[in-house]
Amino acid sequence: MFYPLALLLLAVTAQASVLTLKSPRFVVSDSTGNQLRAEPYVPALVNTRASSPVKLGARENLKITFQVVDKEDEKGVQPHQTFIRFYDESTGEEGIQPVRVTPGGKAKFDLNLSKPPLYLPPTSDEPLKVSLIIGTPNYDPISAPLFDLVLPRSQPAPVHPDEAVFHPRPELQHTFRPEQKVPNKFISLVFSGIALAPWFVLLGLWSQVAPRATGLFSPSILPFIASLGAFEVLLFTYWVKLRLGDVLLYGGILGVVTVFTGRRALSSIAAKRTQ
Amino acid sequence: MAPTKAPAAPSSQNPVVLLWKAYNQQTPDRLKFIDAFLFFLMLSGIIQFAYCVLVTNYPYNAFLSGFASTVGQFVLAASLRSQVNPQNKDEFKEVSPERAFADFALGSIVLHFFVYNFLG
Repeated sequence: MFYPLALLLLAVTAQASVLTLKSPRFVVSDSTGNQLRAEPYVPALVNTRASSPVKLGARENLKITFQVVDKEDEKGVQPHQTFIRFYDESTGEEGIQPVRVTPGGKAKFDLNLSKPPLYLPPTSDEPLKVSLIIGTPNYDPISAPLFDLVLPRSQPAPVHPDEAVFHPRPELQHTFRPEQKVPNKFISLVFSGIALAPWFVLLGLWSQVAPRATGLFSPSILPFIASLGAFEVLLFTYWVKLRLGDVLLYGGILGVVTVFTGRRALSSIAAKRTQ
Repeated sequence: MAPTKAPAAPSSQNPVVLLWKAYNQQTPDRLKFIDAFLFFLMLSGIIQFAYCVLVTNYPYNAFLSGFASTVGQFVLAASLRSQVNPQNKDEFKEVSPERAFADFALGSIVLHFFVYNFLG
């Protein structure tokens, strides 16, 4: 029950002190040392910026100096972390560079464009937003926007070879084979008739040469004929409605029956033939 | 397998007619029975193939199964005829006609099973 109260007290006593910057200045000078632009700036702890964007040419030099002090007693503080951040809002690229701060809090940052450092992000025509980031224990951190920096254009950031994979690809258009058409009904009927014609030919021929079916219905042969007929009926039923497992099962049973009837029938015929 | 030619025949007659006459006279009825069946199968296969070529092969599996059924049945019946022919008795010493018919029946049933499967 006392736990939240204790936390609240701890938060109140843990209110950190505040840092501030003393005499911050930036200077833009060209390669021969002439100063092109020098102004102090008010480091904003809210979002205000320097009056106009700082333009830096190809051989010019930007120097930022400031001293980090405690707000109350104006003593120099050497923070643990001091960074200058260059951020391009349009592409999202950024570059960060730590700044050396003396134990007395004095800091100096140099950007010489005749030897462009590697931490600069790829630049386009958009200005870079420069901000200062300071962090140290026992003090509130600072993330202060400084000014907009316009640098000469650089090469754009290299595109990763797999970049295209992470965006929606173009839609695939499939081409399917066109549906096959059933031919004209009349033609189908005519050809059905033609295809059934050989049956009549067969029946005609058979009527002329049919051998005498004397022993066909004798008790030794008829079961064999019947089981052969049953096989045909089974296969037709399979085509119409049965499934593979069923037909194999029935076929197996019928096959066993057929073997026995067949042996009896054929051996009786063989006996009659060899008499 | 072909029957021998008739010995006395006038040479003015067409050899095809002579062949037909000899066939008619010398082939037993049972073999003619099987021959009629073979002829029917051949006709049926030719007509199905002609339809496939001329009109359409749209239910392709149906064409294949129908055609294969005629061809397969023709092969089985032809082998039955050659094994059952009394004139070939020396060639098929260990296959009796009954055994040939049993083989024919079994082969036909298996063929019909596969044809029905493929017919859809």
